[in-house]
Amino acid sequence: MEYEFPNELKYLQTHEWIRIEDNIATVGITDYAQHQLGDIVYIELPEIGTALQKGGNVVEIESVKAVGELMMPLSGKIIEVNTGLADNPESVNSSPYGTGWMVKIEINNKSEINELLTMEAYKEIVETEKK
Amino acid sequence: MDFVPHDDDTITEMLEVIGVNKIEDLFKDIPKDLIINGLNLPEGLSEPDVLKKLKELGATNTIYANSFLGAGCYFHYIPTLVDFVVSRSEFYTSYTPYQAEASQGYLQAIYEYQSIISRLTQMDVANASMYDGSTALAEAAIMASIITRKNQIVILEGVHPEYIEVVNTYCWGQNIALKIVPIDKIEDELNQEIAAVLFQSPNFFGNIEDVSVLAKKIKKTAPNCLLIQCMTDPTCLGILKPPGETGVDIFVAEGQSFGINPSFGGPGLGIFAVKEKFLRKIPGRLVGKTKEINGEREGFLLTLQAREQHIRREKASSNICTNQALCSLSALIYLVSLGKTGMRKIATQNFQKAHYVKKKIKKIPGYEVLNNKPTYNEFIVKCPDIDSLIQECKKLNLLPPLPLSKYYPEMKDVALVCVTESNSRESIDRFIKALELANNNKEARY
Amino acid sequence: MDSRDSLIFEKGNKNTQINFIPKMDIEFDELESFIPKNLIRDEVQIPDIPEVEIVRHYVKLSKINYGLDSGIYPLGSCTMKYNPKINEHIARLAEFSQIHPLQEENEGALQLIHNISNMLAEITGMDGFTLQPAAGAHGELVGLLILKKFFETKGVVKNKIIVPDSAHGTNPASAKMAGFSIIELQSNKSGEVPLDHLEFAMQQGDVAGIMLTNPNTLGVFDKQIKDITKIVHKYGGLCYYDGANLNPMLGICRPRDMGFDIVHLNLHKTFSTPHGGGGPGSGPVGVTNELIPFLPKPCIISTENGIVCTHDKTHSIGRIKAFWGNFGIILRAYVYILTLGAEGLKRVGQIAVLNANYLRTQLQKKYNLPYNRICQHEFVLSDKNMPNEITTEDIAKRILDYGFYAPTIYFPLVVNGALMIEPTETESKDSLDKFIEAMYQIYEEALNEPEKLKNAPSNTPIGRLDAVNAARKPILRD
Repeated sequence: MEYEFPNELKYLQTHEWIRIEDNIATVGITDYAQHQLGDIVYIELPEIGTALQKGGNVVEIESVKAVGELMMPLSGKIIEVNTGLADNPESVNSSPYGTGWMVKIEINNKSEINELLTMEAYKEIVETEKK
Repeated sequence: MDFVPHDDDTITEMLEVIGVNKIEDLFKDIPKDLIINGLNLPEGLSEPDVLKKLKELGATNTIYANSFLGAGCYFHYIPTLVDFVVSRSEFYTSYTPYQAEASQGYLQAIYEYQSIISRLTQMDVANASMYDGSTALAEAAIMASIITRKNQIVILEGVHPEYIEVVNTYCWGQNIALKIVPIDKIEDELNQEIAAVLFQSPNFFGNIEDVSVLAKKIKKTAPNCLLIQCMTDPTCLGILKPPGETGVDIFVAEGQSFGINPSFGGPGLGIFAVKEKFLRKIPGRLVGKTKEINGEREGFLLTLQAREQHIRREKASSNICTNQALCSLSALIYLVSLGKTGMRKIATQNFQKAHYVKKKIKKIPGYEVLNNKPTYNEFIVKCPDIDSLIQECKKLNLLPPLPLSKYYPEMKDVALVCVTESNSRESIDRFIKALELANNNKEARY
Repeated sequence: MDSRDSLIFEKGNKNTQINFIPKMDIEFDELESFIPKNLIRDEVQIPDIPEVEIVRHYVKLSKINYGLDSGIYPLGSCTMKYNPKINEHIARLAEFSQIHPLQEENEGALQLIHNISNMLAEITGMDGFTLQPAAGAHGELVGLLILKKFFETKGVVKNKIIVPDSAHGTNPASAKMAGFSIIELQSNKSGEVPLDHLEFAMQQGDVAGIMLTNPNTLGVFDKQIKDITKIVHKYGGLCYYDGANLNPMLGICRPRDMGFDIVHLNLHKTFSTPHGGGGPGSGPVGVTNELIPFLPKPCIISTENGIVCTHDKTHSIGRIKAFWGNFGIILRAYVYILTLGAEGLKRVGQIAVLNANYLRTQLQKKYNLPYNRICQHEFVLSDKNMPNEITTEDIAKRILDYGFYAPTIYFPLVVNGALMIEPTETESKDSLDKFIEAMYQIYEEALNEPEKLKNAPSNTPIGRLDAVNAARKPILRD
């Protein structure tokens, strides 16, 4: 099974991807994560304005047979959520890096960006997990 | 009798196939010092003998001709259709319908149960059942705490005392603070830290609240606080305004009145219904309708299982697994047997018979009906001598009303009287006679 | 043939005949004269339905539902054994079904609860029981609240519970409801609890106890069970036994002797009360003497006069359900135990294990058996090495086509593609052989005609259903 991991994104060991533009981070779950979960049926997004530390649970993702959680990759405040997911949760499966994005965060600690994984590092983690 | 169908030859044959000499070999993993030498229990009894033994045991449970006792468990007439349907072994011996394709019968029945409860209560969604009214109320409180992320609950006086105790235990388990408040003091107690207000109507003493007014009061002061109503005899919904129209967020009830025998208090039925916006947080099983993957036919299946314990495990908001499925089937058959006409008639009779008894009691000196609000089929009466009343009732083969001192020691000589459609005129006349005799006894003593 | 009908609501009409209301025999006032109008509702939205239509509708539904009286129900962890009809008869007798929980004359009922408590104590080796919990998960919650209270009264903070990864989902969920957090232990290659990991976890000092079932969900009896309970006790923790898997142990081995302090039982599994399509059940909890003061109220004890009465314990966790528990279910289990007696109970354990091993021996000839050893009451197959990418779900759905109910699938989680099989002691060899034959044929199909499994079920009232859409756009009522 070949998974897609765009080169220009950053990643977390817990299968989140992050796109950074200035001090805004867009976050979603990776192709590997959506495949593990199966058909996504429901996503519980946080309220706009919620402030969370890195590592906190921010989104709950339900499939028919499992539940996954999206962790905050960076400390900050939720400034936008993908409301389109309410009617189209399947976007997470079909376009995890595009229309399947989940939240946008206003980062408050840029140094945390250095702790994120590169695509190569993340790919290795997935390879190990698959075994 | 062990219900094992094998004979010895078959057992020998099977042991050979497995490749062991004797059954004991199959237990070789168990350390020798753990193997016991049989159980210290009597030998098994045949059907006639066990029946005889149980009848002897049951003989000391008095069956009364008529009852004036309610307090959370009620005598209503149960249509014969109910037992007819739940006795069908395809229903009662079946397992939880996880394999939808082989369980369409039961799944459809549960879907119909969910639908009929929604129709009756005018709430948006009902689940497939909880254990009983008391635990349904407790789980509703926890659900509210999770939704609002607050850990304070207010419960209004007038909720069944046993229900309050159960909510208390569950809240203690989750470090949720519980406060009991008189209904006229509710506005003083409300603040933004409260997850929910729990109340009962008709309440334990019989009072019917104007729930719309109560709801407005509460939401005005604490708009994010959830309003949770419980009910111990939902047959009143044949006449009373349903919770869905009065501003209630979560409705729970004891469904025993819907076609389930009293059976010494269990099994009962926890009815649990919510407004649409809380759907994804509801505990318990849910049956949904859907289509075939490769076809056009519609069918039913357990859905939204990602809320439940077998998927969420320690992240589940409730641990409920086995619920009260067969009792919800009883309730469904009860409600469809009655239909709207029957529901209205039953509720009306309960109202009218209780009202009739109240009027009669008011004419007997020494007695005082204490309710200051309208009541359904229960009300409280101050009696001149409650012990005497209880004795006189029993002499006339009537199950006496509840002495409230059982739960409220300070309420000496107050009885909680219940009158349902199952109380004939003749039984009511005997009850009135018992009241009069009890009064005379008191007078005779002084 | 689509034998499923419309919903019951579509059978309604304007015929308002109703046969279930007694004649009004008192002088009555009109409702509006004593009930304020604003309390009164509009018409109830439930149609009036002719009786014969109701009967036909539910008889029809029953015929497209598979019950245990129809055939084998080899569901692992469920113990779907025969439900004796004498239990049903006795539960309906007026002296049990028509008694009110609050009536004073209840000696027979309380005596019955007391008697079964004693029997369950003998069967498990525990000292005291509560029959209050309404289900196994409810019993788990009670047991864990007892643990919580126990440590609270000692002034000790222990807020973690150890649960093996093979545990049933209710275990961690119940622990959470009791305010604990979970430490999950990975089972070792033999499916057992690794002692060194256990010791390490216990050494942290904040573990209240462990929740285990033995035999475990792989059907394996953990030989080290006494070592496990010893380790937990050594560090001041208590041991909780999930009694869902008690069936093979009846009359052979007891949780108390294994070192457990708290036990819950499932009357609707081990003790033959009907599963009811999902309840009602009953989950009694047994404890050691030390924990009896914490049992939920009310308790039933007998005095030297032999009279059974109630007594509130000082350290009770409180009330966990209204009234006395699921009495109708407790009664059925009591009749079952009386029917079996000591000898019968022992035979249950023996034959449950015989039947499971017979099935195991025959089925492992074709299917993958991750733990290839003598099992107790159940065993787990997997879809590993199935030809043509056939999955456990495909196998299960094809089993339905053969007229059987499928085993438990995708549990326990420690086995990928788990197929968990428990026949129980009430299946005849003939019944088992028919199931085996079907499983052999299904394997051949997997090899040579895989589309039969992929498209299964095709012989049931409905084909495979779209669970994804059902969860995305739930329709939960008409």
